[in-house]
Amino acid sequence: MAIAVLLKQVPDTTSKISFGGNSVDLDSVTKWSISPYDEYALESALRLKDEGLGDIVAITCGPARSSKVLTDAAAVGVDSLVHIHVEESIYDSRNVQKLLSSALRRLNCEVILCGKQAADTNSGTTGPGISSIMGITCVSLVSEIIIEGENLIAKRSGPSGQEKIQVSKPCLFTFDKGTEELRRPNVRGIMMAKKKEVETLSSSDLNVELFESSVEFDSQFPPPEKPPGQKFEGAESVTSVVKKLREEANVI
Amino acid sequence: MNVMLWGMIDSMAYTGLDFYGIEALLTEEELMIRDMVRDWVEEEIIPNIEEACKEGVFPNKWKEDLGNMGILGAPLKGYGCPGLSYTAYGLICQELERGDSGVRSFASVQGSLAMYPIWDFGSEEQKNHYLPKMANGELIGCFGLTEPDYGSNPGDMITRAKEDGENYILNGAKMWITNGTIADLAIVWAKLEGEIRGFIVEKGDPGFSAPEMKGKHSLKASITSELVLQDCIIPKDRILPNVKGLRGPFSCLNNARFGISWGAVGSAQACFHSAKEYAMSRIQFDNPIASYQLVQNKLAWMLREITKAQLLAYHMGKKKDEGDWIPEQISLAKMNNVDIALEIARMARDIHGANGILDEYPIMRHMANLESVKTYEGTHDIHNLIIGRYITGIQAFTRTI
Repeated sequence: MAIAVLLKQVPDTTSKISFGGNSVDLDSVTKWSISPYDEYALESALRLKDEGLGDIVAITCGPARSSKVLTDAAAVGVDSLVHIHVEESIYDSRNVQKLLSSALRRLNCEVILCGKQAADTNSGTTGPGISSIMGITCVSLVSEIIIEGENLIAKRSGPSGQEKIQVSKPCLFTFDKGTEELRRPNVRGIMMAKKKEVETLSSSDLNVELFESSVEFDSQFPPPEKPPGQKFEGAESVTSVVKKLREEANVI
Repeated sequence: MNVMLWGMIDSMAYTGLDFYGIEALLTEEELMIRDMVRDWVEEEIIPNIEEACKEGVFPNKWKEDLGNMGILGAPLKGYGCPGLSYTAYGLICQELERGDSGVRSFASVQGSLAMYPIWDFGSEEQKNHYLPKMANGELIGCFGLTEPDYGSNPGDMITRAKEDGENYILNGAKMWITNGTIADLAIVWAKLEGEIRGFIVEKGDPGFSAPEMKGKHSLKASITSELVLQDCIIPKDRILPNVKGLRGPFSCLNNARFGISWGAVGSAQACFHSAKEYAMSRIQFDNPIASYQLVQNKLAWMLREITKAQLLAYHMGKKKDEGDWIPEQISLAKMNNVDIALEIARMARDIHGANGILDEYPIMRHMANLESVKTYEGTHDIHNLIIGRYITGIQAFTRTI
């Protein structure tokens, strides 16, 4: 496969998150979706395919339910689907990177796309971690990829404006908000997706020995409620406003 | 989808009421199609519908999107049509009407009233010529049965066709025609030698015009028109060869009514969802109004009726897929589901208090739309007479006084 896109299934960003005990109650999540930044990566992969770069494989790593993101990806035009099946959440990112790298090597992918971070854990380590394991170029925070002969040009926002970075293959791109939203599926795509086979692999299929997790799960909790706003009137309040902005809000 | 962090979400995503777990009975394909349409409605219809209503337009973008999604003529097979289950067709109608009855009307007319008669009663040439382009939204159709003086009683229509060498000449007027003005072709039902026949009239045929009817307080984003046929000349190969009599238009209506029975559930869900959210957040006498018994009673009634309507619609879909159904069953589903949807819209308006009349909420729009839906495709009362005839064997439509 020429192009690989890595997709993570996360609770939809509009889904209400409930807490049970000391963690998020995943059973109460009403809607699971492809992580938003991964969607930008997927759309970009589809555009590269449209321009003739080659076929796309979508890979996800997660429990049984996560293969849904692969079917959704097939409905918009992804060619083959790989599900690395792990039962429990992996908190040590190195293990996710190891599993994905092993699958990517097997599939011989030259161009790899993923989101800059997942909408649930926000860790942002998967893309760079994989590029390090595989020893390939990584361009992060990309918004668009353009084919330039045998090379690829990634567009990204830099501190001084738009940057264009040309890289040769093999390479990996992590996506920030892209220029194009993920295309909508259609009935024909959905019918084809249903027939598409998902290749399910375990860590032993991939000959990956997982690290003993260096990350221990402690607890998750909802963000504290915002304190109510404060109202100030008249010129005489300026001193106290400035003081509060400096000492409480830490903005000046 | 917007990128947001957990904890920043204040309003919950629309998931739809599923009290009796009907979702679990749907196939993966049906769920994906439902979600595709639901997402489209969320992104394209809900943010733009009030504007479209104010302007009285059905945006071209919607037409194109419906064609691109490939959902037009959903249950028809072959000739570039989607070939989905009737349940999938129902789900599509449900999601479209959760947005607006006018959008669902567009799809119902295109699929069930314009594509279906060509698909079932047309010649091979007609099917090959029209259906692929209608399925992808390139050609829009409308359906001309109702006349100014013949609504519930279409059998006595005045519109006539007569042979004239290589042509037919049509004369008459049709009214309340959804999509009429924007349609590229009209399925016109007219009497030829005393017998009702279907004709395909194309935009631009001599003697044919489709002026828009203005001033509606309902289905404002849907185009409603008259069809005027004044010595309208069409070539002979435009007659639908394979049906005669009222069976033609009634077959189309059965499919459309089936879709409406699902669509009404969508409207009812939209009103219920809004009423529930409002009741939970609206504080009166120091507590959310959802904590008061009178409001809970209303919400419980809504849930009860929506659940019953869902079960009717779902079971009707299964019966349609199995080909084991009678028109009276569709009459019951259409009549009941639109009836309770309208009642739920009114009750939702109550719960929203004065806010319920604002276009910030979808309530009044759905309510006004449902007044039309209750009346078109067989009025509520006519469906009762259809069921009355089924029970007693005595038709109560006509009498001599």
